[in-house]
Amino acid sequence: MVVGELAEPVDLLVVGGGPGGYAAALRAAQLGREVTLVERGGPEALGGSCLHVGCIPSKALIELASGVERTRALGAAGLVCPEVSVDLGRFQEWKRGIVAGLAGGVEQLLSRRGVRVVHGSLRFNQPGRAALTTPDGDVRFLEFRQAIVATGSRPVELAALPFDGERVLDSTGALALDAVPASVAVVGAGYIGLELGTALAKLGASVTIVEALDRILPTVDAALAAPVERRLRGLGIELCLGALARELGDRELVLETPDGERRVPAERVVVAVGRRPNTDDLGLPEAGVQVGPDGLIPVGPDRRATERVAAIGDVVAGPALAHKAMREGIVAAEALSGEPAEFDPAAIPAVVFSDPEIATAGLTEAEARAEGLDVQVSTFPWAASGRARTLGERDGFVRLVADRASDRIVGVHAVGPHASELVAEGTLAIEMVASPDDVAGTIHAHPTLSEALGEAAEVLAGRPLHVVT
Amino acid sequence: MSAYEFKLPDVGEGIDAAQLIEWKVAVGDPVKEDEPLAEVETDKAIVVLPCPADGVVAELRFEPGDEIPVGEVIAVIESAAGAEGAPPSRPPERAPVPAGRGDGAASAPQPAAAATGAAAPRRPLASPATRRRARELGVDLAAVAGSGPGGRILREDVEAAAGAGGARPAPSASSAASRTAPSGETRTIPLRGVRKTIAQRLTEAWQTIPHVIDYREVDAGALLEARDALRARAAARGDERLAKAITLTPLIVKITCRALAEHPYANASVDMERGEIALHGSYHIGIATSAPDGLMVPVVRDADGKTLTELALEIAALAEAARERRLAPEQLRGATFTVNNFGALGIWLGTPIINPPEVANLGIGRLERRPVARGDEVVIRPILPLSVSGDHRVLDGDTLAAFVSRMVELMEQPVLLLEEAR
Repeated sequence: MVVGELAEPVDLLVVGGGPGGYAAALRAAQLGREVTLVERGGPEALGGSCLHVGCIPSKALIELASGVERTRALGAAGLVCPEVSVDLGRFQEWKRGIVAGLAGGVEQLLSRRGVRVVHGSLRFNQPGRAALTTPDGDVRFLEFRQAIVATGSRPVELAALPFDGERVLDSTGALALDAVPASVAVVGAGYIGLELGTALAKLGASVTIVEALDRILPTVDAALAAPVERRLRGLGIELCLGALARELGDRELVLETPDGERRVPAERVVVAVGRRPNTDDLGLPEAGVQVGPDGLIPVGPDRRATERVAAIGDVVAGPALAHKAMREGIVAAEALSGEPAEFDPAAIPAVVFSDPEIATAGLTEAEARAEGLDVQVSTFPWAASGRARTLGERDGFVRLVADRASDRIVGVHAVGPHASELVAEGTLAIEMVASPDDVAGTIHAHPTLSEALGEAAEVLAGRPLHVVT
Repeated sequence: MSAYEFKLPDVGEGIDAAQLIEWKVAVGDPVKEDEPLAEVETDKAIVVLPCPADGVVAELRFEPGDEIPVGEVIAVIESAAGAEGAPPSRPPERAPVPAGRGDGAASAPQPAAAATGAAAPRRPLASPATRRRARELGVDLAAVAGSGPGGRILREDVEAAAGAGGARPAPSASSAASRTAPSGETRTIPLRGVRKTIAQRLTEAWQTIPHVIDYREVDAGALLEARDALRARAAARGDERLAKAITLTPLIVKITCRALAEHPYANASVDMERGEIALHGSYHIGIATSAPDGLMVPVVRDADGKTLTELALEIAALAEAARERRLAPEQLRGATFTVNNFGALGIWLGTPIINPPEVANLGIGRLERRPVARGDEVVIRPILPLSVSGDHRVLDGDTLAAFVSRMVELMEQPVLLLEEAR
């Protein structure tokens, strides 16, 4: 430690400008705190992975790809469009516009609330003290009263396939492609791999998805994954399950499968096998903050790891989702400002932008049984939905899980068109401890997809009109 | 290196033991003098014990929940003179949330970190807004019986629980599991601390004091006008804090002091063993207050010598301190008379139980506009019900009635206070 170094006093230090960090900064500023937010990527990186290389760019790519796909699918409905072509270069420009606009919005919000945004990478070196290395290499010291660690996560690399930014790409690289590769091998059939693989296939690439386990979306209920698997095969995507990526070959990827070695075409390889919390290079032990062997920081219900340091988002346990991080950021800001705050959701919705989309909140049937609830389940298929049929969709369903004893909805699960939007009503029902009768008694507009939720609730209430039980 | 043995200090007059609620530090923690070391609960209050010296915590000899006699060594602090460098890493104050389930019911595609642990305690059936209110009021939802359909906990239930003294300090992550019992089973809660004191004191009071109770209806029209005028004046001066503090309670305390001065047997105590009645020359008025840990009666000392403004501000500050559990033991001692304004709880007429060694307790019920006869006309007037309990060993029906009649007279015509105003 340098003796006599001058430290700048900071009231509340937020480390990381992603969704969790900026939400924490905004809430704390609302509560009258003086907030300094440190972003490693600089002010133009505000919004984090989610905005720059995650949720937002991937949804932009998926929107383009589904446009292409729908143009073909609507042929049966009478759309005549002999030639559809894709210019990924133009897409990149469009995407940059969206991202820059949103990042500017975040910057403006922070500046209007008086949050000071500092550019540089930060390392704790004592409880209450951190060193900030600016892009010019200068080192400044910050003496903070309290801090919120919101440094997020980064893609995991495979030893056999190190990222090179050329042949082997992480999700960031895949989203930055300015031409559609002839062939792509996607390693990992989790939600990131599926979203990217599906989009690239719709854009014309020949796609192989490689997964070490024997099914796609290993963390999702198999019934929800089934329509997605059918669609992947329908799009001509090759699924290599139970297979390991061995090494890179010339325009191909060598796999080890249960039936022996296999080679799949791979002009590019996209590795999406998970993410790792960014907690290894922050000097957290010096700040008195423990880091578990999984890289996660143990925190209490108010997201505090120590009296004065809180941690939120991908660096703490739970799903690595932007909306979970944002809520945790609010909780941490409130707790550190003396408000009674706890992160205690009844349900955290999770959405996969696969084709069709999957969305879930609350307990699955199996989880509800494991908790000893008096479980009741109802399913409403899209084949019985007028609106779904006019969208050309009939595969998939909405499912509600209820506890008969307490007469309440405890889980909502959907696979199908716009499932990502439909889950909101179910999440509200779970949080409000709604009875299936509450949802069934609520009029859902016709013809909409949301009717399916009302119908599923009618099934639970024992009087469905549109399904025969 | 030297070790400092920290003994449980005498935290209040006449208290010989305290219950440890929570350590604010862990073994191995570096500590500084005057930093919070532990929270203990005596019969009367929750007290934060400051750390006696700089150093490192070497030993913590008791567990939360233990009764510790005064004078017992509770912690050992090693003073670490000369030991420079990074302090030992500090374990988190709170138990880590189990991965996955503990974060709520996320069942989503999520990192493999979500190991399935033991079944989580059953969630209280409460909406997010209700849960937030419970946190604000310090109410443990696991202990609240819901009045909504199927036992759902409504915001009103939480507020009622807080008002009834059902509020508890927010449970720590580790104690939450042990507190929660599956529905249908009986939960046992140790009778300790403030709750135990209330139980003992009120049993003694009810069993030993022959209560005689005087019920009245007061036309509060003039009193309300007085309150409104005083409040408007404070507001006009821009003194929002005072405007908020001017309620009926300070006015009634003022009136009580006058009535007590004229009726000394109501401001008294009785000692049966010695065979003595003491008539007090000081007017220390206890204000019954709902606090998170149960009923608290903070005391306004020498209330007769204070202006109305002083009374209003002091009563507001005491109520706030009671809610935030900041009352010191000496703020809870020595009342000569108690005022109990339970009208806010919706109670029309209550039965105030006398707080020994006092001999009277003034209960104020719910103010209501009611039809009453004035001459041969039925008019609508704001009516404030009073119920005043007296200790029949000291006060007979007539002596109590004389005191209460004077109270009623001054409440109905507060201008009479001017008669002897100095």
